[in-house]
Parts: sequence; C-alpha cells; structure tokens
Amino acid sequence: MKKKINFAPYLLIAPAVVFMLLVVAYPAINSILMSFQNYNLTKPQQRGFIGLTNYITAFHDPLFYQSLINTLIWVIFGVGFQFLFGFILALILNRDFRGRGFIRSAALIPWVTPGVLIGLMWTWMYDGNYGVINDLLHKVGLINTFIPFLSDANAALPCVIITLVWQGIPFFAIMILAALQGVPGELYEAADVDGCPAHTKLFKITIPSIKNTIFVTTLLRIIWVANSIDIIFSMTNGGPGFSSMTLSVYAFKKAYGTLDFGYASTLSILLTLLLMIVAVFYLRNFFKSADEQ
Amino acid sequence: MEFIVKKDSILRRIFLFIIPLALLMIFIVFPFLWTLLSSIKSQSELFKLTYWPQSPTFQNYINLFQASDFLLCLRNSFIVAFSTMLVTLVITLLGAYAFSRYRFKGKQFFLTMFLTINMFPSVLLLVPLFSIMRNLHILYTPLALILAYATFTIPFSIWMLTGFLNDLPGALEEAAMVDGCNRRSAFLRIILPIAVPGIVATGVYIFINAWNEYTYAVMFTNVDSRTIPVMLKLLVGEFNIDWGLLTAGGIITVLPICVMFVFVQKSLIQGLTAGAVKG
Amino acid sequence: MKKLAKAVAIFLAAAMIAGVSAGCSSNKASSGASAPAKNITLTHWLWVDDPSYLKTMQTIADDFHKANPTITVKLQTYAYADFNNVLTTALAGGGGPDTASFKLTWTPSYTQNNYLVDLDNSISGWSGKADVVPMLWDKMKEAGSGKVYTMPWTWQVLYVYYRPSYFKAVGINSVPTTFDDFIADIKKCTTTINGKAVKGFGLRGSAGGQEPWGSFIQAFGGKFADASGKVILDSPETVKGTQAFIDLYKGGYTPATAPSDGLSQLETEFNNGQIAMFIHHIGSSVTMVKANGTDISAFAVPKGTGGQWTSMGDTENVVLSASKNQDAASKWVEYLAEKDAVSAWDTTTGNLPVVNSVAEEPAFKDNQFVKVSMDSQSYAGIFPILPTTANWVSNEWAPIMQQALTGKITAADAVKQLDAKLKG
Repeated sequence: MKKKINFAPYLLIAPAVVFMLLVVAYPAINSILMSFQNYNLTKPQQRGFIGLTNYITAFHDPLFYQSLINTLIWVIFGVGFQFLFGFILALILNRDFRGRGFIRSAALIPWVTPGVLIGLMWTWMYDGNYGVINDLLHKVGLINTFIPFLSDANAALPCVIITLVWQGIPFFAIMILAALQGVPGELYEAADVDGCPAHTKLFKITIPSIKNTIFVTTLLRIIWVANSIDIIFSMTNGGPGFSSMTLSVYAFKKAYGTLDFGYASTLSILLTLLLMIVAVFYLRNFFKSADEQ
Repeated sequence: MEFIVKKDSILRRIFLFIIPLALLMIFIVFPFLWTLLSSIKSQSELFKLTYWPQSPTFQNYINLFQASDFLLCLRNSFIVAFSTMLVTLVITLLGAYAFSRYRFKGKQFFLTMFLTINMFPSVLLLVPLFSIMRNLHILYTPLALILAYATFTIPFSIWMLTGFLNDLPGALEEAAMVDGCNRRSAFLRIILPIAVPGIVATGVYIFINAWNEYTYAVMFTNVDSRTIPVMLKLLVGEFNIDWGLLTAGGIITVLPICVMFVFVQKSLIQGLTAGAVKG
Repeated sequence: MKKLAKAVAIFLAAAMIAGVSAGCSSNKASSGASAPAKNITLTHWLWVDDPSYLKTMQTIADDFHKANPTITVKLQTYAYADFNNVLTTALAGGGGPDTASFKLTWTPSYTQNNYLVDLDNSISGWSGKADVVPMLWDKMKEAGSGKVYTMPWTWQVLYVYYRPSYFKAVGINSVPTTFDDFIADIKKCTTTINGKAVKGFGLRGSAGGQEPWGSFIQAFGGKFADASGKVILDSPETVKGTQAFIDLYKGGYTPATAPSDGLSQLETEFNNGQIAMFIHHIGSSVTMVKANGTDISAFAVPKGTGGQWTSMGDTENVVLSASKNQDAASKWVEYLAEKDAVSAWDTTTGNLPVVNSVAEEPAFKDNQFVKVSMDSQSYAGIFPILPTTANWVSNEWAPIMQQALTGKITAADAVKQLDAKLKG
C-alpha cells in the first residue's frame, strides 16, 4: 500500500464512531467521574469529589472480594461450558441429516426465551418442594428427599450457572455454525486423502480456520456474562447470604438499593478494568492475526 | 459431507452424533416443554407435578390475546428488534469491513474503544440515557429503544463482523482484484456473498437481544410502546404471579422467532462452498 | 470508493434528519396537548397485582374525569419489582409522572431530593380527610417526619393463615392466642397428615421476611427503635426472638427451602398442603381462597411474653414536585382516598379500605380476613422510616438472615449486623 493517507477506512467507521461518541461518551465519562465522588441520591447535600475514597473503600470491602471471586467462577464456568456445549452442537448441526432445519431452530429456544421467564421457570424447576428437577431425580432414584437447591449456599451459584449455560449454548452454536461455513471444503478433502483421523481434522483444520470467531465470541461473551444480572436477580437475588453475588449484581444493588451511585460506579469501573486485563490478552492475539491478513 | 457419513461406522455414529445431540437437545428443550405443559394446565394443577395435564385447556392463550394488549406489544417488539438489527448491520458492516481489510492509523485504538464501551454496565447508562432521550423528545417512542439498544449492539457487532471477516480467506478477493475488480466490487461480489452466514448470525444476535432486552425497555417505554418482556414482567405482581398468562406469553414469544429461524438458518449455512462453486 | 463514501454521507444525513424530524414531531404533539386552555392531562404511575385490576383503575379514572371534566388521567403500569427503580431513574433523569403509587419506606430518599409535594395544605381543605382511618394519618406523618407527603391508598395487616383441616387432624381445637402456643402448634402440625408430609410453618427467608420476623422479635420484647426514633435493635430480646425464628428452621418445622422462600413459594406450599401456616396479609386472600376454598382461615399474630406486634403493609399515592399541574394532581390523589374509589378498588383487590365509611360496608365487615385484620389494627406498626430503611428491607435483611439460618453466623451476630445496617 502507498504511503498516502487513505480516508476510506475512516469514512467507513465514521457512522459507528460518531454514534457511540454522541450517545455513550457523555454517560461513560460521567460515570467515571461519579466513581471519584460522594454521589449518593439520598444525601444530595454531601455530593462532591472525594478522590480515591470509593476505591479505597472497595479494597477494604470483604463483599467486594467475595463478589469478585463469584464473578470469576460465574464467568469461567458459565462461558466455559457455554462454549464447550455450543461448539459441540455447532459441529453436529453442521452435518447433513434429516430434520436439521427443525433441530437448528429448536436449539435456538433458550436464547429466545425472555429473561423474565427464564429466572422464574428455573426457580420453579429447582424448587425443593414442588420442583420438577427434584421430582425427576427422585423418580430415577438418584435422591431420596428433595434437595433445596437454591437455599443451599454451596449449591446456589452452581445452579444459576447451569441456567446461564443453558441460556448461552445457542449463542455459541449459531456463531460457530456460521463461522464453519467459511472453512474451505478442499481442506477436509485433502485431509481425507491423507487419511487423517477426525480429531486431527478438528484441531488442525476446523479450529485454526475459525480462530478469529472463537476469539471474538468468547471475549464478547465473557464481557456479556460478567455484566449480566437478570438471572441471578430473579433466581437468588445474590443469596443465600452473599453466595451468588457477583460484582455487577453488587453494583446494581448499590446503585438502586442504597442509591449510592458513586460507589456503584467504582465497582463497575473495577469490573471494567478487570475485563480490560482479560481483553488485553485477547487483543494481542487478535491484532497479531489480523495483521497477518 | 455425505460420503464422510457413509464411512462412519454405526457405533461411531451413535457415540459421536446421536448421543451428544440427544443429550444436548434434552437439556435445551426440556425447560421449554415444561413451560408449554404448564401453559395448558389448569391453575389448580399447576404445581402438582403431574406431567401430562389432566384436562388440557387453552384458556390462558385465549385470555392472553383477549385481556391484554399483547398483540400491540408483539408488534412493538418486532418493530424495535427489526429496526435495531437493520440500523446496526448497515452501520457496522461498513466499519467491520474497514477494520478487517484496511491498515490505518488508530485502528487498534478504535477497536479497543468499541470493546471498552461494550464492557460498560448498562446500570450506569440508565439515568444519562434517560436524560438524552427526554431532551431529544423521543422518550417513550420505539426510536428511544432503538437508540439505546444500538449502544450495545454496535460495539458487539463491529467486533463480531470483524472476526467473521478476518476468518474469511483474503486470497479470493485478492484474486478478484488482480482480475481487475476494484475494491468495492470485490467487496460486493466476493466478500459479501461468502460473508452471508456471519452477517446473518450477527443479525440474529442483534434481533434476539433487542427482542429480549428488559432493563432499558422498562425505563424507556410506556403503555403504547411497551415491548414483550415488559408486558410479561407486569404479570408478576406484588403478591401474586399469573403463571398461566406468563407461561402462555413465553411460548408465544418463543415460537414466532423459532419459526422465522427455520427459514433464516438456510442462509446461515450457505457459505464459502456455495460462493466458491458459483465463482 | 467514492460512491461508498457518498452512500455513507447520505446515510448519515438521513439518520440526522430522521432524528431531528422525530424530535420536532413529538415536540408538536406535546405542546399541542397542553395548549388548549386548561384541559389538563395527568400521568399516573402505578403497579397492579393482576392485569385485570387495571380495568377497575381505569373505571376510577373515568369517574374522576366525569367529576372533573377538565382533568384526564392517563394510567401507566410498571411491575412492582422495578417500580421504585423506574421512578427513581425517571426523576433523576428529569422526567417522571404527575402522580404515582408509593411505599412509605421510600419516603426519605424522595423527600431529600425534593421529589415529593407536601400535601398538608391541600389536605386541610379536603372534605374527605375525616373519613380516613385516623391511625393511617399517624403513619403518614411518621414517615414524613411530621409532614404528609403520602395519601393513603390501601393497607394491609399481617396475620397468620392456617389450614383448619390440619388443625383438626392434629387435635388443635382453637387458634393460638399466645406466642408459646403458636410455636407449640407449629410443632404439632409438623407431621404426616393424610399421608402428606406437612411442615408447621412457612418461613420466609428471602426479602420480605423481615415482616414476620418483626412479629417474632417483638413477641420476645425486642424493639426496632425507641420513642425518639433511635434504632435499638441490638438487644438480648431481639436475639431471643431471632433465635426462636431460626430454631423453627433448624428444628425442621419449616420446609428446607426456607432460606430462599419468598411469598410466591409460601403460597404455593400452602396451596399444595405442604405447610400448615404462614404469615401474610389480606393481599393474598383472593387468590388463596380461590385455590383452597373453605380450607383456609386466619388468626391474629398472637401475643408473646414481651409484647405483640404485626407489620402493616401499605400503598400510598404521591404528587411529584416535577408535575406542572400540582393542584389537579392533588385533587386526583385525594379522590383516590375517597369513598367511591376506595370501595371500587378494594372490592376488586381485596385490600383493607383506608376510609371508615367503606370499612363499614357489609361486604368488608363480614369478610373473615378483614375482621382479623381489623382486630390486629391496634398493635400493627411500620418499620422506622429512615433513609436506610428501603434498602435494609429489600437488600440487607435477607442475606444476613440467610447466613444466620444456614448457621454461618449466630443469631447475636445477625442482630448486631441488622442493627448496624439499619443505623447506616
């Protein structure tokens, strides 16, 4: 390419950039500023800049650390299993078999189900008195008495993670299915001629061919899952105790419970910083492979 | 693909195909089935752990369409989800193409900016966005929701599409450009057709997220512009949950999208192979 | 490439025009609505427990319009769970309705931001003032530190729901009148009845459970606050009451799900015949009677050695100070506390009437649940209304109590934390 400045790419990204600047820049900067303020709606007279006080409070807040650990568990297991099952499903759905159109649509169900309903239905299914999961486990003979899943501080977080995984499988399945269409068929044919076993094809052809999609989907999903609150809210409300409280749930409760928007912003920004650390690892690879293009 | 299937032994087929598919589909479909069964049970039977309803009734569905403004909400949801998808795709396809096919100064900066914005929790955007919508006089119109949703669909879809485009081999387009196509026609004739699965998948993502979004929807809509999730949440009262309407409403929300997807999925899997053969 | 750039420019321009024209058109619409002389449209936000209740509310609004032809009320419902959040966001963002339904515990955070209109002046000239149950005025003043910001709308008193057939089956002949008997009866009912494993008491361990818990601690002599409003929760009596509350769960007299059980779980457990008793108010009576027929009844929260207390549930209506038509808005919330509106609303929803003239109507007077509620009126109370209360009720009580129930902390620790969080 010549050393002349090409305006085309800037023009192409302009609509998106301009929109984001117009709509999001002010709120985003505003909440960064709020994190350095005493900004509590119940104490309007005391509003003002207080430096790093909110951040120092966070680092001395045991609940911050507990939510941080819960967030890590929530994200690692939630996204991990979503990806694993979604990937498997995508490979299966990519095959030619009768009724695949129907199955593909059916696989979309969890994703389409309104979040309002997801929490309520799963809470009901998990219930320790009249829940269908307990009833099925009981009928199969795996348990003798009904288990109060969501009332148990050790079981609550794993249970909401299962719901999260359920909700997220279709996302990965659809995205990966789409990416698989870009893998040139000749590669597989050549591998077949060489007599490569299936797993070699998977790791040597399929995964490398869709690595950008895998990068982007997992990264975006990590961000989305770290910020998602509705499932936890409607199923456990962060409990029992604080056993299923994540950082974003904690921030929401601070913002709308105590109306302490200053501290809520601080928690959110700490979460964002955490996500940035994850992102840096991703971005390096992404930019590197993008430059190879 | 056909001949690969033929080569599989029956045993392989069972363990690598049928069993995983069956297990995954049971996990995926069961909650939906339970919701469906609940929606045709009578109130008294709802929590009795009978599996097949003793006296199936469609009263909940009749009530749903008669009693409330369900159809209006369904229409609102469609308008919002579809417009959000369209606006986002047009804007981001241009951007993603630039990010994926050009080298330019500030590329990493802009990509990182979009990602950082995507990390920002919506909790903190609520109040400022509300002020913006109010000052633009679009509060409580579908436009408010489309704008609000674009704040998260644009960064997402810029990244998603850039990822998809990066995965597409650049060789095809270079070949076309060598053959005398300019960049634009190489994009339109070569890249766009083979990028269809990725675009469709991203579109599906945007549509579904806009369709299901609740937090912004409850703040920025009123009785006329309300979307489905907001309407469903209204069935959860202070002292009382209307399970019948809620489950029926859930089913009616899920079904049209799945039916639509039966048609959409065909374009999701017409990919490189189709394009290459045509080329 | 040039064409592409041109397309982008056209698209951007189109988007801007669309944005601007949308702004203009809605501008016109809003100015058009308020311009024609003195026809006022009020927006009223509320939550309803059942979608069908909205019809009743619409009838009330139509009747109000007939009585005041220049004022039209536009109703807007939000889910209860989000109501406070939505209202707060709208007000903080410079919008919001003219009037809204409200909870007393929300008062401090709203008054501190001057979101609410002081109704004292308006009420002093209002003819319906004397008809309102006098005790309610005291609660309104208590919440507003002497001023009345909130207009009574509905109220409820918590009592104990029980299943008479279970009492009969285990040989309980009359409902308990002391707290000791109450706990003894809970234990008696925890047995197998008609082949069904029954727990005596449905304990609410998730948000909202502070209300029954309040009855427990006060039965043992605990208090929330002293006469001056200072929080004095941390006392040996409160610990004793909390211990009794926890012991019911630990002893297996409640379902194992108690720590996470909320109202809807308790209602379902009761309807399924899995629990014999639980504490709630008349707000659930309509659906509960539908599900259980005659096999449901109620008794007042019994008196303990240290005292007797039950929680009062409430809903009010407020006028927001951002309203441009505060006089009309006051008129509307006053209308909602007058005989006709109260009678129509409470007949539909089964709530307790806030005016005496309706409470004396036979339909209410002869209802067993209204009777029990009225009997409990003298010792019904609200939580001290502090800036911390709303959050304490919805976000602090449950996690602390859940830890105490599951044995992570002791009753004494729990009480200490609850005390500290309420003090803020």
